[in-house]
Amino acid sequence: MRGASSVLAWLAAIVAASALAFWLGGYATDVYRKMLIWIALALSYNFLFGIAGQVAFSHFAFAGVGAYAVVILAHKIGLPFGAAFIGALALCALLSYIVALPSTRLEGFYLALATLAFSQLVLVVIDEGGGLTGGTGGIANYRLPDVLGYAIRGPWYTVLLVLLVALTLWVLVRLDHSAFGRACRAIRDNAVAATAMGVDVRHVKVLAFTLTSTLAGLAGVGYAYVDNVINPSVFGLENMFLLLFMVIIGGSGSHLGAIIGAVLVYLAPFLLEPIVGHGFLVVFGVLVVLTILFQPAGLAGLLASRSARHAT
Amino acid sequence: MEDLPELVVSATASGCIYALVALAYLLILRPTSVINFAVGEWAATGAFIGVAVLTPLAWPRLEAPYWQALVAVLVILGVLGWLVEMATVRPLIRRGSSVTSPILALLGVLVIIRESLTILFGADPLPSPPPFGFKRVAFGPFAGASQQFLIIGATLAVFVAVWLFFERTVWGRAFEAVALNRRAAALIGINLRRVTALAFAAGAMVAGLAGLLMSPLTSAHYMMGLPLAIQGFTALVIGGVGRVEGALLGGLVLAFVEQLGARYLPIPSGLTLGFPFALLIVFLFLRPGGLIASREAR
Amino acid sequence: MTGALLAASGLTKHFGGLTAVEGLELELLPGEILALIGPNGAGKTTTFNLIAGVFPPSAGSITLDGVRIDGMPVHRIAALGLMRTFQHNMPFAGMPLADNILVGRHTHFRAGLVDILLGLRRFREEEAAARRRAAELVTLVGLGDEVDRDVSTLPFGEGRLLELARALAGEPRVILLDEPAAGLTQPEMTRLAATIRDIAARGIAVLLIEHDMHFLLPLAHRVVVLNFGRKIAEGTPDEIARNPEVIEAYLGGAVSGTTARLGHA
Repeated sequence: MRGASSVLAWLAAIVAASALAFWLGGYATDVYRKMLIWIALALSYNFLFGIAGQVAFSHFAFAGVGAYAVVILAHKIGLPFGAAFIGALALCALLSYIVALPSTRLEGFYLALATLAFSQLVLVVIDEGGGLTGGTGGIANYRLPDVLGYAIRGPWYTVLLVLLVALTLWVLVRLDHSAFGRACRAIRDNAVAATAMGVDVRHVKVLAFTLTSTLAGLAGVGYAYVDNVINPSVFGLENMFLLLFMVIIGGSGSHLGAIIGAVLVYLAPFLLEPIVGHGFLVVFGVLVVLTILFQPAGLAGLLASRSARHAT
Repeated sequence: MEDLPELVVSATASGCIYALVALAYLLILRPTSVINFAVGEWAATGAFIGVAVLTPLAWPRLEAPYWQALVAVLVILGVLGWLVEMATVRPLIRRGSSVTSPILALLGVLVIIRESLTILFGADPLPSPPPFGFKRVAFGPFAGASQQFLIIGATLAVFVAVWLFFERTVWGRAFEAVALNRRAAALIGINLRRVTALAFAAGAMVAGLAGLLMSPLTSAHYMMGLPLAIQGFTALVIGGVGRVEGALLGGLVLAFVEQLGARYLPIPSGLTLGFPFALLIVFLFLRPGGLIASREAR
Repeated sequence: MTGALLAASGLTKHFGGLTAVEGLELELLPGEILALIGPNGAGKTTTFNLIAGVFPPSAGSITLDGVRIDGMPVHRIAALGLMRTFQHNMPFAGMPLADNILVGRHTHFRAGLVDILLGLRRFREEEAAARRRAAELVTLVGLGDEVDRDVSTLPFGEGRLLELARALAGEPRVILLDEPAAGLTQPEMTRLAATIRDIAARGIAVLLIEHDMHFLLPLAHRVVVLNFGRKIAEGTPDEIARNPEVIEAYLGGAVSGTTARLGHA
């Protein structure tokens, strides 16, 4: 990532993705916006799962915390939107830090179970939140307040989501290509050797968990204003599994893989449902198993080896 | 406090179901270090097989006697467990990949099984007839549905059988040897592949039995697997991975905390749904040494 | 004790009822190559792990340039300038070769989160300098030119070299080498010995465990011999080879043929 050429590439991609927003009609816009949210979530989850090697099931729960926090702060409590936005992210950061401190002591899949239990607890709390969270019915009838005097509606909101994805990707790519990113991968590959090289494993793990979970919260904030409705079921285990599958199939550890996986897994049902009905979930399950068995680098790995072969 | 004896029966019956699921985890976890989250779907499969065999509600509409449902569950789940092991776990273990890979692959299997059940049986819950009818049974002050006592009796029988298997048979000792040290066990001639296959088949059968036993009380439903998997794992963590009896203890503790807490604690009933998760978190952090140590024994 | 870069005093370690190391006194000067030898079970690996911080001693102290490091977490000891290699290759399989080496340099990266996110000069220059250094180290240890190689396909001998390069990337003042020559071919061993001499010539203190006397005796400046957790001899390689107690320790131990080799050294 150096030099003017990559900056141009970024700008071109953002412009293209934004232009698409103006071209799409009503239904397609909704699909596109949700796809952008999924891409943002897959990118941050990929960093946590694929790069830092932490199998966590709390990612969607933090998206939920972000979404509920901003809506409650801005529309139930009536804070100015800027304060609500920052408050939501701060809450995600604080909560994920508290969860990370003890959880990163756990080995492997026990971290997964602890974060899964935490995410289910979050849902129970939201369900029982009564007037504050709207319970199982959720909260509706709000809309994004004017930001700096502008009402961000229609395609402009989609552009905002494109920028959200771009920001997420930029942060993660920069972190990846730094000593922090290398430390994360080192811990993933061999924590004992990483420690011997001077990596403060606990500190890096906690930081990775907190950063990525806060990015998930950011995506949650973005999601809250897509339908202007939030309910707890969206942030449950079903979608968490889908996210995991996206990252695995796309290629865990690769940012491009996360994007590919998110687009594929999100769009496939629209194409497959007319043909196989609910069966597309079976297809994903099978793809996950096949990926783990035969192509652990996922689709991104397939593309990489294809281009390597063409280069020689 | 008058309904306490009934609550005890109810909690014991629930606890037995959790214990069976925990046992299913344990049978697989000890020799392979693999946490098989798909046990919940195996239980759901057992429940649906029961519906298919015992009622006209689903193909093959047999309305056959109960023992045939039992046999069908054991045979089909045994084969299913063995197939899952052979197709997804064995290649990964043979390759020497970290234990996370089979666990993730099994999440894929979880979704495959669950969606297949939805496709085969539809999305609506299907009731399953209790073999001893809907009458209430009482042993002194302890009264409950006949199915609840069947669950308790069957669970005790399973646990006794498994305990005897591990303590008294050659195969059981082989299991223990593999659980303690895979490499050493292989070196002294124990066939690892067979032990692993047997572990998965046995785990599947126990889980399927749990599903069959609970379905008269809760109906067979395609979403029943995941909550059960979480509750079963919580029971496992509470009871500890070391001994078979731990699974039974863990299941009972979880169920009693859940039901007594819901009944007697002055908090909104919806929050009690969070008990298994809170317990899981507490025990994961209180006993990380206990769980990890048994893995490090390899 | 003055001038010693690394010093262990009264170093003792009990594992339950077993005493692995007892009352060990050890000193290492900058630029010195000290070999730790002894029959199997003599306590060499335990001593190594104590110094590296893997576990704390039951008694005694370890100081690095006057700073007490016993009981310190491993990563902090590394930050103070004590790096180690492992007996079995422990590469970071998911990263290219250069990145593996860069991890060894982890404690030297000063750029903060903001520098990284904004791609500020401090971050960019640090990274560029680090990568140049990694390329230098790759050449120094003899790993060839390709810095982007896939680490998982490295042959065993080159994996050992990677261990060394990675530890050196931390610009250590003291380096602990755990059987660095194990499994190497003769030409690889010759190259490794030259590299170790080179390292020591730059002022780095080297402590190594080795079983191969042919490799070790021409290389080490000083040798410390352990048996049953205690130091039984210390001196130059020549002195040690002629020491009757040492010879007897090995005669009674499991290392066959060593007496013959010791006699030839």
